[in-house]
Amino acid sequence: VSAPSPSHLDVFAKIQSLLTPEVLLGDPRATGEGIAVAVLDSGIEESLLQSKFRGRGQDILPIRGAIFEPDRTEPGPYDGRQSSPHGTTVADIILSLAPRVQLYSADIFGSAGSCEVDVLLRAMHHAVDVWKCKIVNLSLGIAEQRLQQVPRRYQFLRAVEEAYYKDVLVFAAADNDHPLTRSYPAVFAPPLFSVDKGEFGDALRFAYRLREQVEFQAQGRGYLGPFANEPATSWAAPHLAGIAARILSLHPDLKPFEMKTILYWLSKHA
Amino acid sequence: MPVSSEETIETILIVDDEESVRRTFREWLESSGIRCRIVTAEDAEHALREANRQPIDLAILDWNLGAGNDGLRLLEDLYVFHPDIVAILVTGFAHQATPLHAMRMGVRDYLDKNQDLDRESFLAAVRRQLERILPAKRERRLHATLAAFREAVEKILPLVQSAATLNEPVPLSEAIRGLLRFLVTAIGAQDAVLVVHRRDSKGDGYRAYDASGQRIETDLVSFAHSVAGAAISLGKPSVLDFRQPADGTVQWQSFEKGRQTVLAVPMAVSPEIQVVLEVFDKMPFTPDDQRLAGAGAALGIDLLRHALAERQTHQLLFTAVEGALQASDSITQALDPASGRRAAEPPADLVLKKLREGLAADKAAPLEADDTVRLAEAVRVLALGHGSMAVQHCIRFVEQLRELLDSVTGAGDSRT
Repeated sequence: VSAPSPSHLDVFAKIQSLLTPEVLLGDPRATGEGIAVAVLDSGIEESLLQSKFRGRGQDILPIRGAIFEPDRTEPGPYDGRQSSPHGTTVADIILSLAPRVQLYSADIFGSAGSCEVDVLLRAMHHAVDVWKCKIVNLSLGIAEQRLQQVPRRYQFLRAVEEAYYKDVLVFAAADNDHPLTRSYPAVFAPPLFSVDKGEFGDALRFAYRLREQVEFQAQGRGYLGPFANEPATSWAAPHLAGIAARILSLHPDLKPFEMKTILYWLSKHA
Repeated sequence: MPVSSEETIETILIVDDEESVRRTFREWLESSGIRCRIVTAEDAEHALREANRQPIDLAILDWNLGAGNDGLRLLEDLYVFHPDIVAILVTGFAHQATPLHAMRMGVRDYLDKNQDLDRESFLAAVRRQLERILPAKRERRLHATLAAFREAVEKILPLVQSAATLNEPVPLSEAIRGLLRFLVTAIGAQDAVLVVHRRDSKGDGYRAYDASGQRIETDLVSFAHSVAGAAISLGKPSVLDFRQPADGTVQWQSFEKGRQTVLAVPMAVSPEIQVVLEVFDKMPFTPDDQRLAGAGAALGIDLLRHALAERQTHQLLFTAVEGALQASDSITQALDPASGRRAAEPPADLVLKKLREGLAADKAAPLEADDTVRLAEAVRVLALGHGSMAVQHCIRFVEQLRELLDSVTGAGDSRT
């Protein structure tokens, strides 16, 4: 085994010099442009977000999407409305960090605030295969006791893995408030990005905190919606998704493990 | 009037002034295996007293009762008590032509004391008459039971159906109200409101109730823009500051305006029903408050699920009772007692046929006809649970209707 040559060290030094928050996140082109992001949630109130960002002098792209319901195999048309504010809060966080992403709203919860795993899986497949999204945000969790069936659990894992093999980045809320209960899909941490909530002064700040069910920690407060100020992993996941969208707009072909490496590096050298 | 099980046994009245005759007839009947109740009387006065005390199906009368009384005259009096009574006259001149008057009074047979009156001929005559009166008696009993059943159900059903507990999306039991009061007190809050959202095949809607369980009769904002809807999506007890303006994702309800803060506690009762407890105005709500509210929510979910399951059982039972009520209409029309016409089919077959048709025609009835009858047994549980004498009364009729149908089909009848 020979020691690294000076030329190799130069390469790593060059990479390190590029992997800084200033370079990756401070670049004016890091807006999320060209990146499709699916928000699997409770719908998005489009007019409200259009109005908010227009007020800031930022034009966001028209939001596309669909409504997924248990008794319909084909998704229904998205009408630009939320079924509850949760999805709008999530979308607002992503747009606040990456205002030029192409958002897709997959309303899977409806007004009931929950859905069957089948509906979630259909929406995931739709986001990956039909909408061709590069990022899927899952600010949701299914308690372990509600996913006892091993085949169903495997089906869920398989959907996450399929996204991974198609270079899709899945961000899932760690939903780890309960000390004993594990939450899906966050427990599938290796192929996805499991995100815990944290208190960061800057929305672009985050941390690498590897432990069971959790890999990253991001800002846990949102900006729009009745409970946006309530710390929640639901708001942390879209923060990291928005950061990833910014980086992807500079390097759109990054794979999930590459993105994890970059995020890890950035968190260590912020 | 309810039909007791004793009325399914025929009552035979023996009237003869000779004690030895009465004893002999009784012994013949008792040793015959015929299921019947036997009443004896030595004269017209005692006979009428017995008739006043109980229904008489068959009278075996001595033509000559002594003291100037005759059996036919007694039969006229008995007819006043029991218009459906039939009689066997024991005479010394049975070979003579039957008086039309006697036929009208219900005399269906004669036994001649002077000729072939023995145990065999006596029992044969009795069996013959019982076989004739049984179908008519069953039919009368059916009508009486149905009438009583319908009367009872018609009184009970509107009361139960109009009860608020059946019309509300979620029945708020006293236990739920107690839980609300406990949480408000334990947290140290000022007030609380319970929001109940229901989404099922009938549509999407929600209501709000104050801490005493009374419905808040004001217009509500769309659920998609409500604090309750947001809390359900978040899935955990969360605090909101009302002093900040609503930002467009939500609108404040009228009962939220003027408040300072809310601790919203979501309760996912079922896929169709979500409930949110909004606890108002404590400055500030602490993490302990949120934990306490979360524990209270877990208890509330159990209570609400129990209440819902109980109500579902009630609704199922009363749907079954409604179906049985409709079936009773069909039976009554088919038998048509008012016009005196008789349906072409035997009553027993007709009853079952019409009952099944009636239940099958009720598209809202969730059960098969046979299941419905069985299910009605459980109405008794409902009566006990509610402590309502009226409901118990209703259920008793339902059970008796089932017993009657059993007897019509022979399932519960040991008579040979």
